[in-house]
Amino acid sequence: MKLVTAVIKPFKLEEVKAALEAFGVHGLTVGEVSGHGRQKGHTEVYRGAEYTVDFVPKIRLDVVVGDDDAADVVDVIVKAAATGQIGDGKVWTTPVDDLVRVRTGERGPDAL
Amino acid sequence: MRRAELRTALSDLADEWLTEQLGDERDVALVAVGGYGRRELAPGSDLDVVLVHRGRADIKELADRIWYPIWDSGVSLDHSVRTVDEAVGVARADLKAMLGMVDVRHIAGDPELATSLRTQVLEAWRRDARKRLPEMHAAVDERAQKHGELAFLLEPDLKESRGGLRDVHAMAAVAAAWIADAPAAEVRDAATRLMDVRGELHRCSSRSGDRLVLQEQDAVAKALDGTDADALMRDVYDAARTIAFAADEMWRRVEAALRPPRRWRQRQPTRRPLADGVVEQDGEVVLARDAEPASDPVLVLRAAAAAAQAGLPLSRHTLDRLAVHSAPMPEPWPAAARDALLSLLGSGPDLVPVWEALDQLGIVVRLLPEWAAVRCHPQRNAVHRFTVDRHLVEAAVEASALTRRVRRPDLLLLGALFHDIGKGFPGDHTDAGVEVLPVIGTRLGLPPADVEMLVTLVRHHLLLPDTATRRDLDDPATIRLVADAVGDRTTLELLHALTIADARATGPAAWGDWKARLVDDLVARAAALLAGALVLDTRAPVDGLLDDAQLELARAGVLDVHVDGDRVTVVAPDRPGLLWRWAGVLALHRLQIRSATAASVDHVAVTVFDVSPRFGSMPDWSVVRADVRRTYDDASSLSSALAERDRAYARATTLEPAPPRVIWADDASESATVVEVRAHDSVGLLYRLTAALAEAGLDVQSARMSTLGAEVVDAFYVVGADGGLVEDPLQRQRIADLLIAACRPPS
Repeated sequence: MKLVTAVIKPFKLEEVKAALEAFGVHGLTVGEVSGHGRQKGHTEVYRGAEYTVDFVPKIRLDVVVGDDDAADVVDVIVKAAATGQIGDGKVWTTPVDDLVRVRTGERGPDAL
Repeated sequence: MRRAELRTALSDLADEWLTEQLGDERDVALVAVGGYGRRELAPGSDLDVVLVHRGRADIKELADRIWYPIWDSGVSLDHSVRTVDEAVGVARADLKAMLGMVDVRHIAGDPELATSLRTQVLEAWRRDARKRLPEMHAAVDERAQKHGELAFLLEPDLKESRGGLRDVHAMAAVAAAWIADAPAAEVRDAATRLMDVRGELHRCSSRSGDRLVLQEQDAVAKALDGTDADALMRDVYDAARTIAFAADEMWRRVEAALRPPRRWRQRQPTRRPLADGVVEQDGEVVLARDAEPASDPVLVLRAAAAAAQAGLPLSRHTLDRLAVHSAPMPEPWPAAARDALLSLLGSGPDLVPVWEALDQLGIVVRLLPEWAAVRCHPQRNAVHRFTVDRHLVEAAVEASALTRRVRRPDLLLLGALFHDIGKGFPGDHTDAGVEVLPVIGTRLGLPPADVEMLVTLVRHHLLLPDTATRRDLDDPATIRLVADAVGDRTTLELLHALTIADARATGPAAWGDWKARLVDDLVARAAALLAGALVLDTRAPVDGLLDDAQLELARAGVLDVHVDGDRVTVVAPDRPGLLWRWAGVLALHRLQIRSATAASVDHVAVTVFDVSPRFGSMPDWSVVRADVRRTYDDASSLSSALAERDRAYARATTLEPAPPRVIWADDASESATVVEVRAHDSVGLLYRLTAALAEAGLDVQSARMSTLGAEVVDAFYVVGADGGLVEDPLQRQRIADLLIAACRPPS
């Protein structure tokens, strides 16, 4: 199993969710996060005073999928989240050792 | 009545059964306490009983003989076995036991034992009340803290929440101690409604819990009167508010009753003026002796504003008098009514209890009939903390902290109060709001341009958060869309502040740093696009200000004061420091300056003030005129005279909702530096501000000040001693510090 994690622009959440559902992924965890990559925030002039936005608001998605699906799920997310602009985000995968469904105690891929 | 009879019948049934269990015994009695004592049993209630005896040796065996069959039957029993003295002792030591035993009632056995217990318990309660009531009040507060307010919770506890049945029992107990009156008819009625709901809840859930959980609400509503959960919760919230309001009122009475009596020297309560026709007495706001609600329709709003601004409650007697005798508000509202409403809305957290009191007496709905549609209107989703009406009031409270961010604090406060008014009407709430708002705005007597701006605020009150979280902020089209919808930066500023106030008033889930950053980003980008569209009134105040008659006066160039209604024009040969002199003289004569414009024509200074008397009637203008003449030459006594006057006013005890702010508007004028001060209004504010500018060595060329409710936005066009612009950052900082200090009344 793999944990696919994506950090994307907030307004892309609905599109990514729809694309994942169409692919057959039904469970996902969403969080409001802040950070920066190469984008490094930006400088704005607001009410006459310059201020620097160090961290940019983003959405973080976590979804656990079977090994065979991981690459496809990454592609689905990347395709749905892309605007071609700076700050589109990142997607990465991490191996998952074990997984338990709390309600039933099912383990491994059965619990997906 | 059917359900009240059911409760009595349940009690009777239990009585009969317990009488059988006791049988024919001497020197004992079974008595009911608590809800069972009051014959208010719900299907899932405990039977709360005491076996009272005259020291029988075999009492243990007798008790076992009675309790065991009850336990075996599955009825939940709360029991004790005591002699009368023991029972009274327990009651005196344990407040909860005392409150239960205040309602003691004979069920079976020796009636004299029951009577004796009842008499002694009530005697002890009355004797100890002075000592016990503070403890009881603390317990009530603690319970409210723990269980929240019934009137606003999605899943309230009908018994324990604030405004629940326990509060009614507490009121009855205080009445039993002869400290306050018995609960009024509307409170008893509200309690009956809650007990009806509680009974159906027990039946529908087959459990004894009193928490009205979401999943049971529809079933309970259907069983009660065939309606739905929305109607049920509206009714429950309404009952809870009636109870909570009456309970607060009662605890105030209790506190007053427990206060040590005045010494003979202080028999006469001190009355301190707060506003025209409104005074403070014993920590409450009451009407002045000469106040006439029947001929003064604005009095009710003035009293409410004064109470909220001072952080004091309106006395119950005053509320009743205002509710019954207030003259109907003329439509459109006079400016004084609008000002009082704004001052009320801008008072910060103290708005809530005052608004709640006005609402309880039906005053809010009489002034604003549309309010009826949102009263107690439930919002059954997890994001919202409050009913619609309370959310609107909370939004105004949040907005009052943001008034310094905007040029139009008045529109911000009104926008906050009405942004969700459409939720009480059918269809989409934004569309409904857009439709109903012109009706409200026109009734309030707002100018058409302001009504239009309010409609824009209501129409777009979800635009910023929706766009910020769902649209691509890097896409110029997104920013263009927001800029087009909003139109100018004044509206954008207002909408930004309204968005924050709305979200903060919704609940903790609706607002946080994350969302705030997205919205800030969107606003900054839209503001940049609208940079050219800043609606700031940059006309030098002299243009179009003076009419021909005033120009005529100016040309005469003689020191004089002209009064036309509430407009005062002072003409004088120009010299530095005139503005603070005039402002000081007007404040000295108890005049509130609503707006002021100062300009200079050919070395003659013309200052136009719109004033209203702070208390009662206009001053004797011949005296004002004489003071103006004297002050023109010698202003040395002005400041001490003002300080003297100041001491006579009741000091507002609460913190102001938002700290004052000084803004340099560099794009506003080329010939003068424009400094804008946004602050909370106070006695003599304009005098102190202009005196501070004089102290900083600045010459005020012209000024434009407006009071919007209790908030003030003043723009001063100043030049330095050398006649040049004020640009040095250090000098600006010093001036800003002086102005900020001047915003606070001298203590």
